[in-house]
Amino acid sequence: MRRSIPPRLRKPALMVLSGILFAVAWLVRGGSLWWVSIPALIVAGARAVSYYRLGDRDTDEGALAGARADERQQLVGLRSRSLGYYFVLVAGFAGLLAAIAAKADWWWPFLLILLVAGFGNLFGLSTYGSGEPDEDDEAGAEPLHSPAQS
Amino acid sequence: MRNRVREQRVQRGLSQAALADALGVSRQTVISIENGRYLPSLPLAFTIARFFDLTVDKLFDPDDEEAGR
Repeated sequence: MRRSIPPRLRKPALMVLSGILFAVAWLVRGGSLWWVSIPALIVAGARAVSYYRLGDRDTDEGALAGARADERQQLVGLRSRSLGYYFVLVAGFAGLLAAIAAKADWWWPFLLILLVAGFGNLFGLSTYGSGEPDEDDEAGAEPLHSPAQS
Repeated sequence: MRNRVREQRVQRGLSQAALADALGVSRQTVISIENGRYLPSLPLAFTIARFFDLTVDKLFDPDDEEAGR
């Protein structure tokens, strides 16, 4: 499915899809605010078009938007997402503190955000980290000396 | 870490865009490598060295710490 979509269209398509889901949520909610789904769709479409056009620019942002980033640009994207993760953590923690201090009963979504972020972090470490050393490596291991030291 | 990418590129009369095309990276990445703001991965360092017909250690000098900062 993913491979059938041209790389440059993937993120815009994801934006349109998330816009559709957001609009459907408002429609399902019903009531007098059902119309919010219409501007939500328009905004999602406009964002997708502008993101698609950004993908043509000769900049780091353009390369990331156009799914043609090289290794340095991918690192830039990774660092940028990492910064976003810290912002979410700080905002989530601030929201949790505010909700507790205000004796509000909407503290749990903030806790959920923090737990999901923490789980994601641990999941990332277990997925991308090298973990424990191999048993073979430990058994016959000799301290490593640089030839320059001997 | 100091490198001689700019020097080699200029010697061959190449623009940053032309070198980027030849290496399969963006122009911004060539600029970042030349300025010492980005240390390329080992595969990319070898690609650059092969392009200039040099060895990696001739192109990148690990002893010059100041230039890479």
